[in-house]
Amino acid sequence: MTSQRPRSLAWIVAVAVAALAAAPYLLPSYQLRLVTEGIIFSLYAVSYNLLLGHAGLLSFGHAMFFGVGAFATAIFLNQIPGISVLAAMGLATGASLLVGLLVGSLLLRVKGTPFALLTLAFNSLFFAIGVKWHTLTGGDDGLNVIPPKLHLGLGVLDPRNGPDIYYLTLVVLGAALLFCWRFTATAMGHSVLLLRENEERMRFLGYNTSITRLILFVFTGALAGLAGSFYTLQNAFVSLDAVSIDMTTKVLLMTFLGGTGSFLGPVLGAFFYTYVQDYLSNLTDNWPLIMGALFIVMVLFAPGGLSGLGQGVVNRLKRAKTAARP
Amino acid sequence: MRKFAIACLTLALGLMLAAGAGAAETIKLAVMEPFSGNFKDIGDRYAEGVQYAAEVLNAKGGINGKKIEVIPVDTEVNPAVATRKATKLILQDNVRHFCGGTGSSVAGAMEALADKHNTLFFTYGMAAASLTGDKCNRNFFRTCANTDMQSYALATWVAEQGFKKVFCIAQDYSFGQEAVAAFTKKLKELNPQAEIVGQVMHPMGTKDFAPYVSQIISSGAEVVFTSNWGNDLTLLLKQAQPMGLKAKFAGYYLNDELMINAVANDQAVIGSVGAEIYMVSIPGQANQEFVEGFKKAKGFYPTWLRGKAYAATMFWAEALKKAGNDKVDDVIKAWEGLTYDGPAGKWTMRACDHQVQQPVWIAEIVAKNPYFSHAFVGPAKMVASDKITTPCEQTGCKGLAK
Repeated sequence: MTSQRPRSLAWIVAVAVAALAAAPYLLPSYQLRLVTEGIIFSLYAVSYNLLLGHAGLLSFGHAMFFGVGAFATAIFLNQIPGISVLAAMGLATGASLLVGLLVGSLLLRVKGTPFALLTLAFNSLFFAIGVKWHTLTGGDDGLNVIPPKLHLGLGVLDPRNGPDIYYLTLVVLGAALLFCWRFTATAMGHSVLLLRENEERMRFLGYNTSITRLILFVFTGALAGLAGSFYTLQNAFVSLDAVSIDMTTKVLLMTFLGGTGSFLGPVLGAFFYTYVQDYLSNLTDNWPLIMGALFIVMVLFAPGGLSGLGQGVVNRLKRAKTAARP
Repeated sequence: MRKFAIACLTLALGLMLAAGAGAAETIKLAVMEPFSGNFKDIGDRYAEGVQYAAEVLNAKGGINGKKIEVIPVDTEVNPAVATRKATKLILQDNVRHFCGGTGSSVAGAMEALADKHNTLFFTYGMAAASLTGDKCNRNFFRTCANTDMQSYALATWVAEQGFKKVFCIAQDYSFGQEAVAAFTKKLKELNPQAEIVGQVMHPMGTKDFAPYVSQIISSGAEVVFTSNWGNDLTLLLKQAQPMGLKAKFAGYYLNDELMINAVANDQAVIGSVGAEIYMVSIPGQANQEFVEGFKKAKGFYPTWLRGKAYAATMFWAEALKKAGNDKVDDVIKAWEGLTYDGPAGKWTMRACDHQVQQPVWIAEIVAKNPYFSHAFVGPAKMVASDKITTPCEQTGCKGLAK
């Protein structure tokens, strides 16, 4: 059993990697776009789940990071002549990191409901800045970007081209997702879990919980900013939607639908949301209603989300197997 | 689980795609409008205009032998939603022609999208000057007046009437600011004696206009310029008359039948003027024929929005006819410099910024009219296009190679 499992896991990983690499050749361009969007929202949702699922911090302000990343990318690309796409994205991620540091240090002392409400307030603040600071953000009109071609050693990537932006997203955000996954296994990752389970005890053990929380807040903010940056790049346009409460609700839905209990839950949720939204919006313009109902059903009857349901099925199968053996 | 879900959905979408592919070849024109929410009435009326134009064209055998298929798309006035739906139409259904008229934010997103996928987008209602100014691109055409032109037309009217004291009131966001700035600039130019005796920029969604109305009354203004729309216009007009405001309004959207209906007090609107590129009361045979045909087909009058969208669609069709096909690059080339003589006068698509050069029509709101039982526009008077034009080099549009 023990020797079999890593081998089958390796197979699964190999097949998944091959499928992802071949996707542009297999999928029609619109499907490819949806997959790209799914990857972008996966990172956004995973970063959110590091706060919610791992640290137990319920934030209603995650869109401020996403939005700052998205707007900063557009602003840097438009305002700095000759800047490369990667540099603009790096700077934009840096900008959301700074926002995380600023907001995070103000939120250090509060927990629970006050924390949730304050994040909501900060999100509204950033939305208001987006609306009012017209010269910088374009206000209601949003910002158009024409992302320049990216010259890599091996060739040229054009972010306006579907397969190119897909590969760029896959490699960069895939790496970021792997990094997040590794992060949960590090000492820092464990201390985040401890934060959720018993913060008092953690303090008695000599940890500085405020710093742990701040680091996590900044880290997840930067990741959300990176996702936002790709969102702008994919659409060649950014609007206030990126920093709106809707965007926060979206990540909440994705994370809860996918399940907060596992690392892959939010990824599942992000893809599920992207595809279901696409499917439902074909059928009716009232798709948010259905999505909302789905959310309520999920929270009431399957609090573990899709990943929880999946896990349940696997467990039942295993049990059936062991029961059948003797 | 994830793979399975994706596989299922891919299959479902694939099937839908296959179902759509069998139909005869048509020219697909997607109408990007709000068909739900607060702005539904605007989107509906625009779409009725486009739809009627398509019916007229199809009755004559279509364009270049192909029928036009109008695809309504609900944007919810949300650029993200509009982008998502339009991208799908482009990538999956191979739609190449788009139009829309509501929301400058949607316009910006559609402009970016049109550029990215080399599709064509024309707007018959999005007025922000920047769309054909510093944001201009070769895939984006505007067949309606921008804020500059509409403000200039009203300034021309105010100057011609010889008003000396003018008050400006507008919503405090980019559109209102642009409108007031352009109006003030042109009025100073045309009549240096005219004085702006007061200016108010109020937040959108204002409920109580009483303080502003008293400000207008005490300023002694003879005429009030406003670019307000929606509820902000309805409430302003509704509250001004009972408070004793004698000055009339010169406004962007006074020729809106739903607004006048909502004010529900004809005395509050009679004597004020509206300015638009299309009004149902434009004199001339071309418009008369259009109005009669529309009334017969639909049972109601093609008021401003419907007429704007109709004429724009006919203009687009002219470009397709001239191009001889519906390939985007050819249509762009054909449309540049093209002139269309339609119900609202002569329109010429300027090549340097893709902003149409056209007259703006001004009409006073009168009590008796053939269209409605309530007050509506009287005969429209033309402000010629050369009086309200902005020279190419002043638009801020760079890079539309001739």
